[in-house]
Amino acid sequence: MKRSMFLAVLLVVLLGLLPLQGVIAQDPVTLTVLVEIGGLSLQKAAAQLFEEQTGHTVEIVEVPYASVLESLSAEMAVGGSSYDVATIDVIWIPAFADFAESLDDLFTDEVKADLVPALLADSLWNGRHIGMPTWANAEVIYYRKDLWEDPDEQAAFQAEYGYELAPPTNWQEFTDMATFFTRDTDGDGSIDLYGTDVKGAPPGADVEWMVHVLQAGSPGVVLDADGHIIVDNDAHLAGLEYYVSHHCELGLTPPNPLEIGWGEGENLFFQGATAMTRFWGHAYRLQQFDGLASGNYLGPEAVSHVGVAPMIAGEAGIGSIPGPWFNIIPQTSENKEVAKEFVQFLYEQNALGVETPLGLSARNSAFEQFAGQENYENITALVTTLNGSQTIGRPLVANWQQVSDEVVVPMVQDALSCEVSPADALAWAREELEAMGFE
Amino acid sequence: MSRAERNFTLLLMAPAALFLLVFVAYPLLTLLRDSLYDVALMTPHQRVFIGLENFQRALTSSRVIDTAERTLRYTLIALTVEFTLGFLMALLFNHLGRRSELMRTLFLFPLMIPPIVAGLLWRFLLIDNFGIVNHILHFLGLLSAPSDIAWLGDRDIALYSVTLPDIWLTTSFVTLVLYTGLQNIPRELNEAARIDGASALQLFRHITLPLLRPVIAVVVIIRGIDAARAFDIIWVQTEGGPRFASEVLSMHIYRNMIRYGDVGFASAIATLFLLALLVLSLLAFFSIWRPVQGRRDS
Repeated sequence: MKRSMFLAVLLVVLLGLLPLQGVIAQDPVTLTVLVEIGGLSLQKAAAQLFEEQTGHTVEIVEVPYASVLESLSAEMAVGGSSYDVATIDVIWIPAFADFAESLDDLFTDEVKADLVPALLADSLWNGRHIGMPTWANAEVIYYRKDLWEDPDEQAAFQAEYGYELAPPTNWQEFTDMATFFTRDTDGDGSIDLYGTDVKGAPPGADVEWMVHVLQAGSPGVVLDADGHIIVDNDAHLAGLEYYVSHHCELGLTPPNPLEIGWGEGENLFFQGATAMTRFWGHAYRLQQFDGLASGNYLGPEAVSHVGVAPMIAGEAGIGSIPGPWFNIIPQTSENKEVAKEFVQFLYEQNALGVETPLGLSARNSAFEQFAGQENYENITALVTTLNGSQTIGRPLVANWQQVSDEVVVPMVQDALSCEVSPADALAWAREELEAMGFE
Repeated sequence: MSRAERNFTLLLMAPAALFLLVFVAYPLLTLLRDSLYDVALMTPHQRVFIGLENFQRALTSSRVIDTAERTLRYTLIALTVEFTLGFLMALLFNHLGRRSELMRTLFLFPLMIPPIVAGLLWRFLLIDNFGIVNHILHFLGLLSAPSDIAWLGDRDIALYSVTLPDIWLTTSFVTLVLYTGLQNIPRELNEAARIDGASALQLFRHITLPLLRPVIAVVVIIRGIDAARAFDIIWVQTEGGPRFASEVLSMHIYRNMIRYGDVGFASAIATLFLLALLVLSLLAFFSIWRPVQGRRDS
């Protein structure tokens, strides 16, 4: 009896230890992870859990945006990398693809089904999945809820345009509402509330106009999937004409858009100078904190007057340019297996990201956990936009940065100067792209 | 000098020479070598020797030529304004003597601000839609609307606008160096000239300016090189825009080297830039400093 009792206890203890055996299958190692400041809070929260559950140590190296590229490429150039995992922007995928470990075995059918389609496409390079999406973002529509919910404004709008004042869903509604709210509010003869803004300064000038190109039905932006020039197709022209018209023809935007990038556009909207803006989906959550670095929660008052709607649709549907970040494992990592475990762990714990000040995830299921909850009113708009039929990533070409800096940004600036027609600006862009070797 | 003394001297110089060899000569030689190859940032081991092709490309590229011309303009604007203001302030401080102590201290404050912070600060001061500069000008009645001047968005004035933080930041350096130079001019010379009936302008022209020439040469060369190399202070304001209107050579080299990964081409531009700075510095040295030395020798 005593013997069988002893064996039973031993069996229970051994069974109890079994799960741990699987986790601590090897000696604890220290993983070095390169992270941009924006994603720090997500990686930190997950890293802490990973350390507790596995006994491994995670050292996070936090750098500003541009330093991710500089730091990682400098390390790759000398043939080695001290990083076991690096979190990189989608536009750097082609640059680092040949130096990144394949993550194909992490992309099970279940994983693929839970990721936003555009992110899945962006993670592929020459048929290999080389990056696991860690968070995704997209431009959505922010609008002044206090104006939209004002009965007087609703009645006036209905009387003028013949339909109900609600968050815009298409090009025409967006233009109508921007026109309606562009006004001189204090009667001094000058406009002090603009309907919306356009971005002519980087960052922002490179991407924002492209969302309308996609909405107009283009299969991609600037270059197609095979790297051929499509910058002057009909959808590019329609998208650019629509974008520029708000400034050059209709005067619905603050003057001098060449000084306005994303930062300025965000400021103008949250200071009440614009009624609507196209901006990244994370801002609604982030405005409730005193910043990414400190992460102190201030409360929902900062966004009590703000509404968030999905990006508007053109003839081809809702479209936006996703801004995802991916975890890659450099081939030179000495801890590839543990690094892969960590990347897998980050995927599993992806919902943690929605709770951080950045408020982002890469998985539909993680977003869905928070959709509709108080203070997360942006999530539904963001998920709808990310899964939009025309939401397509930027071309995955190795020299996209050069294309953007040398062609796209100057071209948009030309068009927004109102001195060059959109058609001429796009024709110039084609010439420049051809000079760079594209066909 | 005996052989032992010579050896001892060489021994003392060795650490500095070694430092220069490793941290100056080696990077420069690497730069020169890279400029002769077609080489990408991520794959430096896969390089193809192409001789002077990168130099030919740089010298015939309208982007490089335009950027070089803008760099020269930026340098001349910054240097001229900083030197003029700095010299005037130094003369004022020198005239006030001990009474200028507090002003001198306050005047040096901008020198302690990192260029990137100054650039960001001025970016937000100058942005027309909500920048304080245009709002003040509007309040004073000088502008009919705060959006009348697009300091950083107007191609015709962006280059001048981005020099403002540079001028704000380093005029105090020019003042400091020139003020030190003024302090070293023997008072007896001025007093003797005054007794001989020299006017203030004559004192300045025949005593102050000639004796200050070596100091002026130092200021012009150091600040000239510094302004020509400007990068972060402009980058945070405009990233070289709009449409490259405020892009200078260091930014163009950075773009090609880091953002586009074209190490060979970027190295060729950097080498040409280095040579140009060397030539301009020598010209400044010989035209400002040397004449004084020559007169003293004679």
